[in-house]
Amino acid sequence: MSRLPLLFIVTGMIGFALFHAVSLSSLLGWLDDGVRGPEGWFNAHLFVLGWATMLAMGAYYQLISVVLQTKIYSEKLGFLHYATFTVGLFGLLFGFALGKTAMIALFAALAFAGILLFAWNVGATLLGAAKWDAITSSAGMAVLYLVLTGLAGMAMGVNFAAGWWNDLHQRLFGTHIWLGTVGWFGLLITGFSYKMLPMFFLSHGHPTALQKAVFVLWNAAVLAGAAVLLAGGGATPMLVAVALLAAAIAVYNVHILQIRKHRHKKNPGAGIRWSMYGNHAFAAIAAGALIWALVRPPALTETGTLLLAGWLYLPGWVSFMILSYASKIVPFLWWTLKYGQRAGQPGTPLMAGLLDERKANALLAAVAVTFFLPAAGLALDLEAMVAAGGSLHSAVSLAYMALLGLVFTR
Amino acid sequence: MDVAELIRERLREVYDPELGVNVVDLGLVYDIREEPDRVLVKMTLTTPGCPLHDAIIGGARRALWQAIPDKPVDVELVWEPRWSPDRMSDAAREQLGLI
Repeated sequence: MSRLPLLFIVTGMIGFALFHAVSLSSLLGWLDDGVRGPEGWFNAHLFVLGWATMLAMGAYYQLISVVLQTKIYSEKLGFLHYATFTVGLFGLLFGFALGKTAMIALFAALAFAGILLFAWNVGATLLGAAKWDAITSSAGMAVLYLVLTGLAGMAMGVNFAAGWWNDLHQRLFGTHIWLGTVGWFGLLITGFSYKMLPMFFLSHGHPTALQKAVFVLWNAAVLAGAAVLLAGGGATPMLVAVALLAAAIAVYNVHILQIRKHRHKKNPGAGIRWSMYGNHAFAAIAAGALIWALVRPPALTETGTLLLAGWLYLPGWVSFMILSYASKIVPFLWWTLKYGQRAGQPGTPLMAGLLDERKANALLAAVAVTFFLPAAGLALDLEAMVAAGGSLHSAVSLAYMALLGLVFTR
Repeated sequence: MDVAELIRERLREVYDPELGVNVVDLGLVYDIREEPDRVLVKMTLTTPGCPLHDAIIGGARRALWQAIPDKPVDVELVWEPRWSPDRMSDAAREQLGLI
């Protein structure tokens, strides 16, 4: 069995721990005035690339071969991708931390090269398999948006250095964030959930038509948002993108309830249960955000709103989904590596024995609840609440990650 | 104990490591046939592209290694007919919390 997915996943777990350790030490001070400067860039990229994207890439390598029933196009390319992306990322982070422009430029280019290698590898795999459904289409579009996100980021970097398109810079920034968050993460998470949720619920005979609807709506939201942001459109046109996204999220939730309704396993595990709660909360928040935007369109361009939206989406939905699914992905990978060759022999542990379900349930609950404390602090503009709530959230997040880490000792 | 029963008993030691249910109670074992020079076991998995494909099929082969003293046991993975939950035993349903 390939060690490539595990390499990414372990590195992602380290990235997560680093992010929350740094957050704890700074009491989330970066999540305020510093968010648009090197401190904010450091933390944002550590979180988005060092944790979320890193783990997502590992899960991608693992799941794409399950979905397509074929090996990845090139293992060697996968390892080259890992090396390039990881060195590029950590160099980039050091560059942000030290404020060294040349270092940022060099290592950003390296990290982007890693993303291109990833796109090549998975693109060749997908095109070779030529098996197109909502899962593979979502997975393919997700990687395309990742490449476009990187491209927008590189363009911003070039502008910082050369000043060639200052008028475009702010627009590139918005597009960079939208493509990465809504495009890359949104389609990756929804697409792979169509395979993972039925596996863990042991669902059979559920309808799949809504997967296509989600795919269309979600891509429409990504493209509409990116177009509006790149064109410098204001709040009103952005409402269309927000409405499309809210609709996509609502339809997605209807579909995952269809999957759950057709289950043949009552308890899919704490992580999967919490992923469902997280998705429902996300749908409610998206609906609320749309209503708020309809009542007060200028809010869509206010810094406070954007910061809160970013917190709810990224450390909220995206990260919580990854943490929830990691409760299955990590034990699965470790069990396969350590015990796969012993299956069928008496005394071989089950996967369920690798992760303490009760502790996972309690810690995911704590992660979910504490997440809303800094969110409330951002909404009410209470710095102390952001600091205290965020620190508590980081502490329980680290505890959950430590629990996942213990899987490797079983 | 006849050959089919013996094979089934051995396969009760092979579990889907995620579901925690053995492959017999899951209804994955379709056919056990004694042929002149071998015993053939036809089985399936709950889903095509099951990520535990190698572990489960490999586990079945290991469990059946030298199960019959004078005949090899071959395990053949089939996809037709497609597995469905109604093939599960009551014991499996109970274990999965359905009854």
